[in-house]
Amino acid sequence: MTPNGIPIGDVLLASAALFTIGLAGALLRRNAISIFLSIELMMNAANLAILGYASALHSLEGQIVVFFVIAIAAAEAAVGLAIFVALFRHTETIDVNKINLLKW
Amino acid sequence: MTARFAFDAAMALAILFAGVMVVHRHPVKSVLALVVSFFALAVGYVLLSAPLIAAIQVIVYAGAILVLFLFVLMLLNVPAEVRQTPGRPIHHTLSAGAIVAFAAALLAVFRSYGASSAPPGPLPSNPADLAPLAKLLFSDHILSFEALSILLLAALVGAFALARREGSP
Amino acid sequence: MSAADLGIAALRVLAPVLVMLIVLPMLQWVERRGAGLIQDRPGPNRVGPFGLLQPLADVVKFFMKEDLIPSNTDRFLYVLAPGLATFAALSTFAVIPYGATLTAGGRSIPLIGADISIGILYLFAITSLSVYGIVLAGWSSNNKFSLIGGIRSSAQIISYELAMTTAAAGVILSAGSFQLTEVVVQQGGSWFALPYRGWNVVPQFVGFVVFFVSAFAETNRVPFDLPEAEAELVAGYHTEYSAMKFAMFYMAEYINVIVASALTVTLYLGGWTLPGFSPSGIVGVLVSILVFAVKVSVLVWIFMWVRWTLPRFRYDQLMRLGWKTLLPLALLNLFWVAALALWKVL
Repeated sequence: MTPNGIPIGDVLLASAALFTIGLAGALLRRNAISIFLSIELMMNAANLAILGYASALHSLEGQIVVFFVIAIAAAEAAVGLAIFVALFRHTETIDVNKINLLKW
Repeated sequence: MTARFAFDAAMALAILFAGVMVVHRHPVKSVLALVVSFFALAVGYVLLSAPLIAAIQVIVYAGAILVLFLFVLMLLNVPAEVRQTPGRPIHHTLSAGAIVAFAAALLAVFRSYGASSAPPGPLPSNPADLAPLAKLLFSDHILSFEALSILLLAALVGAFALARREGSP
Repeated sequence: MSAADLGIAALRVLAPVLVMLIVLPMLQWVERRGAGLIQDRPGPNRVGPFGLLQPLADVVKFFMKEDLIPSNTDRFLYVLAPGLATFAALSTFAVIPYGATLTAGGRSIPLIGADISIGILYLFAITSLSVYGIVLAGWSSNNKFSLIGGIRSSAQIISYELAMTTAAAGVILSAGSFQLTEVVVQQGGSWFALPYRGWNVVPQFVGFVVFFVSAFAETNRVPFDLPEAEAELVAGYHTEYSAMKFAMFYMAEYINVIVASALTVTLYLGGWTLPGFSPSGIVGVLVSILVFAVKVSVLVWIFMWVRWTLPRFRYDQLMRLGWKTLLPLALLNLFWVAALALWKVL
């Protein structure tokens, strides 16, 4: 139970739902950018769970962890999008099924 | 009571727009749905007594990372996905199975570990005060903080090196 | 929370919003007459004495114009964009204190929309969201010029946001709190004692210059208004907008100017304080609101003065200024403030 009276079960349920939706998006979409967005959603679901526990256990360490996760996600998004731009310039397609030069 | 209601409403909104993001064919609309979802999450973070993280979520995630996504989508004129006729039935069935199995496992874990047995720490006298968080960040976690700045520099250099055109300075 | 409490809270939030919306037409008149003054011509003088009814004529014009929506546009986003821009502009004012704390009827009412602990970070968060209004306007118009204008404008805003927030970080460092009420109260002390407790513009002059110049870029005003320049891009991201939707963009720009001025006054020019003035009672509070209004008006006039005086920057010059000049200056300012704090001067 967080200080504001929000039961931890609510937070975890929301986090699980968001993570599952992100997972579905990452597995079922063909568009590289959409897969990337679904991965960002999964990271946010994890952040929510961490913050839920940080609030319930009255700890500030959880907020610091989330701070670092958000910053790392920013770095990862920048590099991922740079890869995407380079890929798109070469192949003119964003369908991940067609980017298969390294397949056996 | 009202805090719980507001939190549930915010989470419902976040989940709804996350669903829209996953389902929508056009990548630009997907990104915008995700922006709304992240904003709803930030509202949830405020209700979980983490106002600084909520502000950082809006400034960094919704206001910078997703703007970067939008720029890339608009500049490269990425088209909407078109439904393919042969489809990928094996892939879809296996994925659906994996997702259902994973969701079930996640719920089972949360049900057994949801109520934590760890005793809660001392109740902070003023949860909205940002000074203790800043003290903790710059004393116990100063090494991670500095390492993070080096990581951001590496990401900056890497993104620049990857995305520039061939043969240009 | 009794009904009276709720009423007072609503009034605290709505009062500055209503004042801003009422002042907007007058600002437009000031801009056009001021332009005439600077350019040695009369300005509007046909409609009413001294052209005072010109804003009314403009409002009638906006209502009467045909409200087009171009084909092949995304209707939802096209209609949403101006609303988003105006909403973001109005919401930023919620954390700016516009007067001293009023103690009446056993309650102490801070004259601010919401005195949250993250204060100025909320403002930066809403500014980040206002970028979406512009990007959506540019993209959903289905027009090359709009798209380029929209992308240029948002790239400009996020670049100058860095210099602006680093300059503001200097003020936050010297005040020790994100809350703007705290920042203003700490500027109300003595100018001639150590630690220095006067207006922040004196020890942090470089920061003030960086912040003010970045505010011009954030609000898309000359000399940084290339994204909406007539000679370059027709009208940039609001090319395809007509009538009321264009009026909303116009309103959003003026409200952004007022908010940027109010923020500069709060951070650097002492907010509602005057040296040697401590407000007491209702009269003191009213005087503090008047002081704040006068300071904001002076800065808004400077915005307009610069608009009709300077030519505009080319886009690459604009980006170079933001990244290579203002950001390093803002960082140097931050080091300077930290040094002052260490030597117990601040």
